[in-house]
Amino acid sequence: MEKFKTISSTNQKAKELAQEGAEPWTIIVAEEQKAGYGKEKVSWFSPNGGLYFSIILPKSQIEDLQTLTILAAFIVAKTIKDTFSLEPLIKLPNDVLIKQKKVAGILTENIIGKEIKNSIIGIGLNSNIDEFPRELEKSATSLKIELGREVDNEKILEMIIKGLKEQLKTISQ
Amino acid sequence: MQTEIKIKNKNYHIDIAEMAEGLLKVKVNNRNYFFAKNKSGELVSVDPKLYANGVELEENGFVYDGLAEKEIKSPIAGIISSIDVKKGSKVKSGQRVATLIAMKMENEIIVETAGVVKEVKIKEKQFVNSNEILIILE
Repeated sequence: MEKFKTISSTNQKAKELAQEGAEPWTIIVAEEQKAGYGKEKVSWFSPNGGLYFSIILPKSQIEDLQTLTILAAFIVAKTIKDTFSLEPLIKLPNDVLIKQKKVAGILTENIIGKEIKNSIIGIGLNSNIDEFPRELEKSATSLKIELGREVDNEKILEMIIKGLKEQLKTISQ
Repeated sequence: MQTEIKIKNKNYHIDIAEMAEGLLKVKVNNRNYFFAKNKSGELVSVDPKLYANGVELEENGFVYDGLAEKEIKSPIAGIISSIDVKKGSKVKSGQRVATLIAMKMENEIIVETAGVVKEVKIKEKQFVNSNEILIILE
């Protein structure tokens, strides 16, 4: 696991490391992203307090990677539900919502030449974020806002990684 | 080793040299091509920059890979979300040329050979089928 205080984007870093030959299941975690992004490079609000991480995935078939993206949303939602008794909903395939507001986003990126070279999955979870900019207030929330207390980012990360590994044992190495 | 061959009334001057262990340079007229054996023992075209020091590189840093795939095709059906090159762009092996949104994932299409873009056959937001030609290299 590689931890960063501040990073441009964990997905970007994961892609760079994957191309340099980093091992599958290398995890890049940051406390803050300066240029976090989601689908179609739309900016992902990533201040201190949130949980931002990306995983270099084992070489897999494209169909398995699609399944993985959906599974990741399921695992994030289940972790939130089981740990905090909140009622998250999955907006397939990329987002997890609480009360119709985005609390987590998932982005899988593949690098493809003649075959799939590298795949990474990035997850951004609004955990300990106190407030959102005005333009996001109606569409985003955080676990802290919903619970009225802080949550343990490391524990959540551990649970999500464990869940992913358990669910994805069948992905080809 | 040097030789001359004639194909359809055109003469080719061929000069073959071993650049490093297992790495051959084949000079056809004034253009260099590089070959090495893959794991199966087949001789395939390669990018010599991947090899150890001491291998002579092209002056401009690009290696024109004569036998490499010239047509960059879509690996899966999807929507082109961005195009990173235009006609005349020089591309290096491993460089991203387009991004395709497919199966709810973002797929960066890279070239595995160096070259120059001869034609971009796609536009942003265009739907492409699997195996459709996206970009042609010279």
